Amino acid sequence: MSGEQVQIAAGTTIVTVDHVSLDYHKEKEPLPVLVDVSLTAAKDELVAVTGPSGCGKSTLLRIISGLIKPTAGAVRVMDSEVKGPREDISIVFQNFVLLPWRTALENVVFGLSSRKDLTDVQKQEKAKSALEVAGLSGFESVYPGELSGGMKQRVGVARALATEPKVMLMDEPFSSLDDLTAERLRRETHSLLINPQTSVQTVILVSHNVEEIIELADKVVVLSQRPGHVVGEIKVDMPRPRNKKSDDFFQWVDKVYALLS
Amino acid sequence: MTLQFGLVTLDILSSWIRMILALGLSILFALAVGIWAARSKRAEAVILPLLDIFQSIPILGFFPFVIGAVYSGPLANAVGANLAVIILIFTSMSWNIAFGVYESVKAIPQDYADLLNMSQASTWQRVRSLYIPASMSRIAYNTQISWAVGLFFLVASEIITVGKASVPIPYGIGIGVSNWGNPANPDYPDYALLIAGIVVAVVIWRFLFLREFALWSEKFKMMEEPRESHRDPIMRFYSWVNHRSISKLFLMTHDSGVTRFTSSISRFGKGLKYSVLIFLAIFLLLIVGSAALSGNLSVSSLPSLASLAYDEPGILYALGVSFIRVWYVVGICIAVGLPMGIVISLNFKLYDTVSPILEVISSIPAPVLLPAIVKIPGVGSNAEVVAAIVIFLSVFWYIVFNVMAGVRTLPGDIKDLPQVYRVSRIAAWRNVYIPSALTALVTGAITAVGGAWNALIIAEYFQASNGTVLTQVSSGIGKDITAATYSVPPNYTTLFLAVTSMTILIVTFNLTVWRRLYHRVTQRYAYNR
Repeated sequence: MSGEQVQIAAGTTIVTVDHVSLDYHKEKEPLPVLVDVSLTAAKDELVAVTGPSGCGKSTLLRIISGLIKPTAGAVRVMDSEVKGPREDISIVFQNFVLLPWRTALENVVFGLSSRKDLTDVQKQEKAKSALEVAGLSGFESVYPGELSGGMKQRVGVARALATEPKVMLMDEPFSSLDDLTAERLRRETHSLLINPQTSVQTVILVSHNVEEIIELADKVVVLSQRPGHVVGEIKVDMPRPRNKKSDDFFQWVDKVYALLS
Repeated sequence: MTLQFGLVTLDILSSWIRMILALGLSILFALAVGIWAARSKRAEAVILPLLDIFQSIPILGFFPFVIGAVYSGPLANAVGANLAVIILIFTSMSWNIAFGVYESVKAIPQDYADLLNMSQASTWQRVRSLYIPASMSRIAYNTQISWAVGLFFLVASEIITVGKASVPIPYGIGIGVSNWGNPANPDYPDYALLIAGIVVAVVIWRFLFLREFALWSEKFKMMEEPRESHRDPIMRFYSWVNHRSISKLFLMTHDSGVTRFTSSISRFGKGLKYSVLIFLAIFLLLIVGSAALSGNLSVSSLPSLASLAYDEPGILYALGVSFIRVWYVVGICIAVGLPMGIVISLNFKLYDTVSPILEVISSIPAPVLLPAIVKIPGVGSNAEVVAAIVIFLSVFWYIVFNVMAGVRTLPGDIKDLPQVYRVSRIAAWRNVYIPSALTALVTGAITAVGGAWNALIIAEYFQASNGTVLTQVSSGIGKDITAATYSVPPNYTTLFLAVTSMTILIVTFNLTVWRRLYHRVTQRYAYNR
C-alpha cells in the first residue's frame, strides 16, 4: 500500500512519549491523571499499555493521537512533535465509532476527507483496497447496522489503515466483541499491521486483558492506579505464533500480573 | 403607581392550585389505567392506541365542549368554571403519565411477580406493594414534562374561560394576562410583574417540588437507568422523548427501547379499530351532553356530518391555511433549532451557560406573552406574524432541546471523529453532526407539530377579558374554534366540524407520514449500535 515509503531501519524509535503528565482541572484543584509517563515504540514493534481501570491508559492514547494536549511533556513521532491530530497517526476505537448513516465504504472514505490531493475516485479506490486488506471485500455497500461486531471493527481498522498512518493506535479494540470473534480478529492483528505491505511502522495497543497483551505485544508498559505512572516495562521476547496454552505463555502472563498487583 | 404584588401572587397561587389538583387527578387516572393496561391483554389492546390518539389530538379544541358540558345547571358558577379548567389541564397531563405507569408495570421483572404469587397476595396488595412503588420513578419523571405542558393549557383555558365574560373565575395567570394586557385598559407594570412572577414560581416549584419528587422517587427504582438524565435538567426534561416516547409507540417502531411492547403492537391494528370507535363514542357523548345540558341543541336537531360540511365549506379552507401555518413555523423552528442545538451541545461551556437561560424562557407559557407581542411596533399589527411568533414560542423548545439532548447523548468518540481525521467543518456537519441529530430532530418535530396545532387556538385569535380582540388572522381553524366558542350561544355546528376535521387530519397524518418518516430515520440514523 505504501511503495513510496522510505525504508526505516529495524529498531528505529518511531514514537516517543516524553515525560507526559496530565491534570484535569476540576473546581480549581488540579486532579492529576497521568504523572511523568515515558515510553517508546520502535519500528515493527507492538507496544501494549495496560493498568487498572481508571489509570488513564485510554487518556494516554488520546494524548499520543493529539486529541488531548498534555499538561507537561511531549509526544514525538519521528522527531516531530505531535501538536494535534495528524495524518500519520490513526486510531481504532473500542466501540468502532462508525457512522451508521454511511455504508462501510463511505465510512472509510470519510476517513480520507482531509486528503485534498486525492480525487473522489482515488479515495474510493484506496478505501476499497483497505477494506480488502481488513478482510471485508464484498461488503462495501453494506451499512454498519447490518454488520456483526467483528465486521464493524474490521471497518474501523480499514478506515484507520486507509490514511496510510505510520502509527496505529488501538483503544481496547477487541473488548466490545464476543470471545470467538475477538479471538479471530486478534490472531490476524499482528500479521495485518506489522507487515511490510502496510504503511504502519508501529502499533500502540491499550488493553486490560493480560492474555491478549501477551499474545500480541512485543513490549508491555504497565501503569499504576490513578494517577497513572509507569510501574514497569516488560519485553515479551516469545517467538510467534504464540501458543496460549504453553507454560511459557503463562509465565509471561504472571509477570504482568505481578506488576499490576 | 403601586404594583399589585398581592393580586399577582393570588393569580399565580390560584393557577398553581388548579395545576396541582389536575396533577393529582392525572396520577390517579394514570395509575388506574396504566396498571389495568399492563395487567390485562384485552385492556392493553384498547387502551394503548386510545391513549395515543388522545395524546396526539389538539385537546384545546375540545375545551369549548368541556366548558359547555361542565359549566351548566347547578355548576354554572365558579366551581364549574374551575372544574372545566382542571379537566382541560388533566387531559394534557394524564396520557403521558399513564404511559409511564404502563411501561413501569410491564417492566417489573418476573421474579417479583413470582414472589407475590408464592405469597398469594391479593390484587390490592399487589397494587399497593408492587405496582405503585414500581411506577413511582416514572411518575415523578413524567410529571416534570406534564407540568410544562400543563402550564400552557392552564393559561390558554383560563384565557378562553375569562374571554367568555359570563364565566366567573376571578384569579389566575390567564385572567391576569387577559385583564392587564388588554390595550383598551392596559396595566403594563402589573403585566410585567406577572410574567416575572411566573418565572420565579416555575423556578421555585422546580426546586421545591419537581426535583424533590424525582429524588424521592429514586429509591423505588428497580433497574439501573442512565443517571445523567437526572443531573442535567435539559436531559431530564426532554430526552425522555428519545428513549421511551409515547410517540415512538404510536409510530410502531421496533427499536430496542420499545421491544417489550412488540406484543401489544402486534395487536395495534385490531385495537385501533376498537379505540377509534370508543373515541368517537366519547366524542359524540361529550357534544350531545354539552349541547343538551346547555339547552342550545335538542338531540333531534343534531345535524349529520354531511350537512355540516355542506353548511360550512369554509372550515376545510381554514384547516388548509392552518396546516400551512403550522408547517412553515415548525420549518422555521427546525432551521433555527437544529444548528443552534448542535452548536450549543458541542461546546460544554456554552451549554452550561445557555441551557439554564433557555429553560427559563421556555418555562413562560407562550399565550402569556401574546399581549406583549401585539405591542411590538411593526409586528403587532400583522396578525399573521403575531400568530407565527406565538406558535414559534410554544414549540421551538421541543426542537432545540431534543436536538441538544440527542447530540449530548452521542458517545464522545464520535464527536472526536472529525478531529481525528481532520475533516473540514462543512464535511463534519454534513457527515456527522446533522445526521446524528436527525432522530432527535424528528422526535422533537412530531411533538412540536402536535403542540403547534394546540397553539393555534390562542395564536390565531386572542380576545381579552372585556371582549377586545387583540389579534386575529384572516383564516384559520384555531380562529374558527375560538371565535365559535366566544359567540353567544356557542356555535356548536362550527365547533364540531372544525374539531372533527382537524382531528381526522392529524391522526391520519400521524399514522401515515410521521410513522414512515420516523421509522426510516431511526432505521438509519439512530446512533445506538
